Amino acid sequence: MENLVTANIKSRPTRTFISILAVALGVILMLVVGGIVKGTLDDYLGRTMAVGSDFILQPPGSSVFYALSDPGLNEKYADLVREVPGVVAVTPVLAKFNSKQFGLVFGIDWDTYNQFPGRLDIIKGNPSLQGDEVIVDQMYADANKLDVGMKTEIMNYEYTVAAICRPGAAVRVFLPLETFKERTGTPPDKVTILFIKAADGADREKVFAALQEKFQGFSLLRASDQNLLLAEAKMPGLNEFRVLIVVVSMLLAFMIILLAMYTTIFERTREIGILKSLGASQRFIVGMILKESAMICGLGVILGIVVSEVVRVAVVAKFPTLQVSMTTADLGKGFVLGVLAGVLGALYPAYKAARMDPVKALSYE
Amino acid sequence: METPFGNAIETVNLSMTYRSGKVDVPAVDDVNLTVKNGEFIAIMGPSGCGKTTLLHMLGGLLRPTGGKILVDGIDIASLSDAERTAVRRKKIGYVFQRFNLLPTLTARGNIELAKRIHGNGNGSGGGKYPDVSQIFEMLSLSGKEDFRPLEMSGGEQQRVAIARAVINRPSIILADEPTGSLDSRNARTVLEMLRNLNEKLGQSIVMITHDADAASTADRVIEMRDGRMLGPKSQFSFKPELERFY
Repeated sequence: MENLVTANIKSRPTRTFISILAVALGVILMLVVGGIVKGTLDDYLGRTMAVGSDFILQPPGSSVFYALSDPGLNEKYADLVREVPGVVAVTPVLAKFNSKQFGLVFGIDWDTYNQFPGRLDIIKGNPSLQGDEVIVDQMYADANKLDVGMKTEIMNYEYTVAAICRPGAAVRVFLPLETFKERTGTPPDKVTILFIKAADGADREKVFAALQEKFQGFSLLRASDQNLLLAEAKMPGLNEFRVLIVVVSMLLAFMIILLAMYTTIFERTREIGILKSLGASQRFIVGMILKESAMICGLGVILGIVVSEVVRVAVVAKFPTLQVSMTTADLGKGFVLGVLAGVLGALYPAYKAARMDPVKALSYE
Repeated sequence: METPFGNAIETVNLSMTYRSGKVDVPAVDDVNLTVKNGEFIAIMGPSGCGKTTLLHMLGGLLRPTGGKILVDGIDIASLSDAERTAVRRKKIGYVFQRFNLLPTLTARGNIELAKRIHGNGNGSGGGKYPDVSQIFEMLSLSGKEDFRPLEMSGGEQQRVAIARAVINRPSIILADEPTGSLDSRNARTVLEMLRNLNEKLGQSIVMITHDADAASTADRVIEMRDGRMLGPKSQFSFKPELERFY
């Protein structure tokens, strides 16, 4: 049977196309921007956890985005940390954000860093790091066409690639701690963070409590679980930003559908009068408008998801170090929110249509 | 529910007054009209005499400001909008001067839609609806099933509109100037169809018309003037050709 809803959609191709496009744009915004934020955060936290530490010690008031903070932690605290019962390894790290390559660079102490489970897994070159040497991961090497022994510029200084490690390490670029301090003008006794490892079998809560007692007022994060790290980390505005992206995307879909359907019911005033003369109930008319908007939104959301996936693949191909997180759950959420926004946007026009005076509607020119 | 006297429609002191600013304007004034089951009546009168308002009230599209309207014994004037809509859906078929087919649907789509609305949206008529193809054949519309309204002539559109009005076998057909937009040949065809439907299906028909020839098709003709019913007449005081002088 010919369907009134699809017939209406097909009969106004320009309006339908623009509405679908606008809904798709909202979904793309939600999925791609949200995906970049989530992907970057997940990547960042995942890499922080990849060190394999149990705790992270930072200066008071620090956020988990330690690379954005000035190195304000005295390196000598590492010795104090080692005195805490149950601590088996401590390593100081100077972390900086390399805006040119859009990624983190770690200045590490080779010996202590490799006491952690996340030690560098060298797949090519020498397992050492000193002087003006640099170790990069395979992905960074591929993206920058680097090999062992080649020179490369990092944050305005030239380094020699000493080794290439397996991807999945905390960062993609590792420099010797002392060299990195010197070349970034960091005071010799300062680092960004201390990664701390508890001994196998040690009661981690007790170790944590002891560290808290010793470093009162400092930022001490549990790094054994990503959700815990996320929950404890101070990330001002990040969640709000993600919510804002979702709200803006939904508002876009909501307003477009509201406008499109509102215009449509005025165009179709006479048709609504005809439906009423045939005995169509208010529920029938509301259902017709809602189905139409749900169909437009559904098509828009599907288009948005497809384009978002294409954008994700293209972004990852063009910028291999950039992460765009788009899980099935994210796509499902995008679908539900997109359709929901559209249906909500159609509620008022549907109500107006259902309440229309049939006699006035029939005489509408 | 049938009335004990077998009336399809009965109005009692029916009135409709519009308010224009601070002035009350009576559009229909104290009309008492009875349409028997299976009767075909025509209502004539000059423009603005209240014919269309009366028809809209009989169809439940308008709630009167006074009086009763009994449709198959149900006083629709006292019903809510939703209840009047339900009565209209089950008992009344409309035919308009300007056909009022949905332009986005084909001829068949327009008729199927009426069936769907009648079936409360579930589209399951349980076989009680006449076959659409048969209706098309009966109205000489075979081959036009997949045409959209704009692809058909006025006469064809009006025949589709009639098919749409009768598909659910309503007991009452309300026709508002059904021949007003047609040439004389198509007008005659449409009137013959209405007459046939009335005779074969026993549907009561209330038709508004300006055309005395069209009115002569009906069993009974009623004249209206200034919102009042002047009663049945064999010779009408209303002459369409003199309407401009009213």
